[in-house]
Order: sequence, then structure tokens, then C-alpha cells
Amino acid sequence: MRLARLSSFSIAFITTLILCGCGLASASPHPLPHLASPTVHLVISPTPTLSSSPTPARRANPVRLLIPAIGVNAPIEEVGVTSNGNLAVPTQNPWEGVGWYAAGSHPGERGSAVIDGHVDRPGGYPAVFWYLRDLHKGDEVLVTDAHGNTLRFRVTGLAFYSPQDAPVQEIFGNGSGDFLNLITCAGDWIPSQHQTTLRLVVYTSLD
Amino acid sequence: MNLGHSRVILLRCVTLVCGICALVVLMSLQPRTASAEMPAFVRIVHASPNIGTADVFLDGTTLLRNFQFGTITNYATIPPGPHKVQIALIGKGIGASVITQVLTVNPGIAYTVAALGTKSNELSLKVFSDNNQLAPGMAKVRVYHLSPGIGSVNVSNGSNVLISSLGYPEASNYLTLSAGAYTFNITAAQSNAALPPISATLKANTVTSLFAVGLVNGTPKIQFVTAQVQGLPGVPQTGSDPNAVPVNSQPLWPWLFGILFLVVIGAAIVIRHQKANM
Repeated sequence: MRLARLSSFSIAFITTLILCGCGLASASPHPLPHLASPTVHLVISPTPTLSSSPTPARRANPVRLLIPAIGVNAPIEEVGVTSNGNLAVPTQNPWEGVGWYAAGSHPGERGSAVIDGHVDRPGGYPAVFWYLRDLHKGDEVLVTDAHGNTLRFRVTGLAFYSPQDAPVQEIFGNGSGDFLNLITCAGDWIPSQHQTTLRLVVYTSLD
Repeated sequence: MNLGHSRVILLRCVTLVCGICALVVLMSLQPRTASAEMPAFVRIVHASPNIGTADVFLDGTTLLRNFQFGTITNYATIPPGPHKVQIALIGKGIGASVITQVLTVNPGIAYTVAALGTKSNELSLKVFSDNNQLAPGMAKVRVYHLSPGIGSVNVSNGSNVLISSLGYPEASNYLTLSAGAYTFNITAAQSNAALPPISATLKANTVTSLFAVGLVNGTPKIQFVTAQVQGLPGVPQTGSDPNAVPVNSQPLWPWLFGILFLVVIGAAIVIRHQKANM
């Protein structure tokens, strides 16, 4: 009898330990991989364009972002700016979704449309733009709008900047083409500033 | 001796390779800042009462045709570095330029270039560095005093003096105002003569430029040209604290439920064994 009682509790205890062990294993943070060398290939047309043509009808809002090379298939939500003047981040689907700066250009319009997304989530787990740094010049970026139309962009360059030195006129205000710029964080986490040391910008241009 | 010499050479080679590798690694860790590949952003305002409709040339090629007094272009991208800018009356050709000036622009920076002057020997280009970063929830305004012959001006809104003694040809600091409709009153600082007021609707998160161009006494008459651009936000914070509690860790209740279930099962087995042995 004592043996049976002992064996029953042992089974329960061991099973519990196994289950708890599984739970702990799934919660262990993944280490952040070392960032690749910040190779830069910016291709920007030097042709001056002083367009005064009337603004065409606005496109439908973008609703989905696809980047086949890194497996991104993300819903797009509109974002504005934070109280400190920075581009806001997606909140409806913060880790798997991306945010489009609605006060800027629409993707496919003349100007620089901007979409941001998290690189990781609390604890270091990958988020939607975890693999953004693995993109290369020429990779495809697709944006589907609310009417079901899909626009194809091509990566023209990647660049890493410290937040205070990011060329915001270039990122948000370049009106010399039909650009879509993707932004996420990079570098090391600075606990005292609650941010990372760098930002990664992937520049793309309409095909 | 040959062996020792070879070792020295080998050691030097290894040191050199290590040094080069270290240099490459250090360079690769540097974040990219504005580089020569990034363009500068330039807009041009025609504020010279003496130059009629004109053509603008950049480094010998036509940049802009039919450029009329009192108009301002959008920002154009041009490569950073020095550029030869020439302005000639429309259709006269680059050889008849009335302004020839070399301007140097830096990558990633926005500039306003004003064509100025009332006499042929005073015609020139004046370059202003712009800051189009937005003030969150507010409107930014800058006044460019490009109207010759009236001296310094004051700018006020109602009884509030916003800008004092803005000289020609200068631009004010950026003012940060609440979004809304405004009427700006301009007065000559010395004579206190009032100029026509400017009405402008300032939207939140925009940057508005107010250009005073023309002549108070003469033609073309003084006018105010307004240009409003969407303000530029800073880059977002899209990283997360790697030491924080993971948001995707699974909730505890299934595990607690499982443990409770196993305990109940275990207890049931024990009770059953006890009854069987009784």
C-alpha cells in the first residue's frame, strides 16, 4: 500500500516536473544574434525634380506587407507620432503587425512612404522585422492596398543610423521618387534609455 | 638563421592580418551616418523684384524653367557638394545669366535658396538651412524677410509680438504655435508702418514658411508667399527590453490545471489502493 501510494505520488511529481520543465524551456529568451556588418548600398537618383504637377487621386490605404525573402506577411495599421515626436509603432498587433505613417505618403505615391515594425518583443523573442537586416538589394517588397491592388517595390539599400543622426529628411521627406522605407531597431539595448543603439532603414523603390 | 628570419616574417604577417581584421571589424561596427551618397534637399524661392520670369541652371543644365517672381518650388534632391547655380531671364540662355554663384550643400540637409536683389550688382542667392522636424501636436512657423527697402520688421499675432527686428534678408527662428487659424501682423521696426497682414491656417505637425517678397514702394508690390510641408517625425523605437518578462510566454493556468489534475488522479489511485487493501 505504501509502495502504491509512493509510486502514485512519484508519477504525479515527475510528470509535474516535466511539464514545468517544458514551460520553462519555452520561456527562455533567444539570444539576439550579432548584427551583420552595416553594409550600405544607397541608390538614389541624383536627377533634380521640381515637380509642380497636380497631385493625383490618393491611393487606397495599404493593408498588408509581404517580404518573401524573409517570410514577412504582416497586417498594416496606420500610425502617427508619439508625444515626443517620433514615429509611433503598431499597437493592434504589435509584434506580428507593422505600422504605416499615415500622415506621410501612401506606398506607390510620389514621395517616401514609411512602414515600421518591431525587431523583437519583450524577452528578446523575434518580432515581425527580426530578419529585416537580411534583405539585400533587389529583394522584393509587396504592399497590398484595401482595394486588393498589389504594388511591388525593390530594395535599393540598407543603412544603420543612431537615432539622433537618422536623416529624417531622406527617410520621410524625399519626394524625388516613389519610395517605401522600412524601419526597425538594431544594435544593443540601452536600459537607461529604453531603446536600442541603432535604427535600420531599408530603402525600397517602386518597380 | 633562415628559420628565425622566416619566423619573424611570419609573425609580422600574422600581426598585419590581425590588424587589418581588427580595423575591418571596427569599421563595420560604426553606424552609418549621412554619406556622400545621400542627396541634399533644395527648394528655391524667387524673391528678386528685379528679375522677371527666369530659368534656373544647375551645373550647366536646366533645373527649372519659367520660374516666376513670388513662387517657391518643392524640395528637389541634388548631390551634396559644390554646385554652380545660374539664373537667366526666361529664354535668354545660360550665357545671359544675371546670377552665377557656387553653393555648397551637405547630404541629408534641407535648404531654402532665395534669389534676391533689386539692382544688377546686388543680385545674389541666399541659402537658409531648414529644420522640418515636427513639433508633436503643434505647428512650426518661420518667417523669411526677403522684401528689400523696409529695414527690419516685427511680426505679431494680436498683442503678442512673435518676432522682433527681423532684418533683410534673414529668416526668423522657428516658432512653435498651437494649430489653428492665425493672422500675422507685420510692421516695419523703425517707422512702425503696417504691412498687409498674413492669414494662415497652421496644421498640427506641419512646418509653415512665410516669405515676404516684393517692394513696399514699387513693383512688384510686397506679398507674402506661404509654403507648408508635413513635419518630419523622428525614427521610431521598435526594440524591446530583452530582460523583460516575455509577452509570448504561455499562461500558467493550463499548467496549474494539469498539476491539479495529476494530483487528483494520484489521490484517486492511492484511495483505490487503500480500499483494495482493506
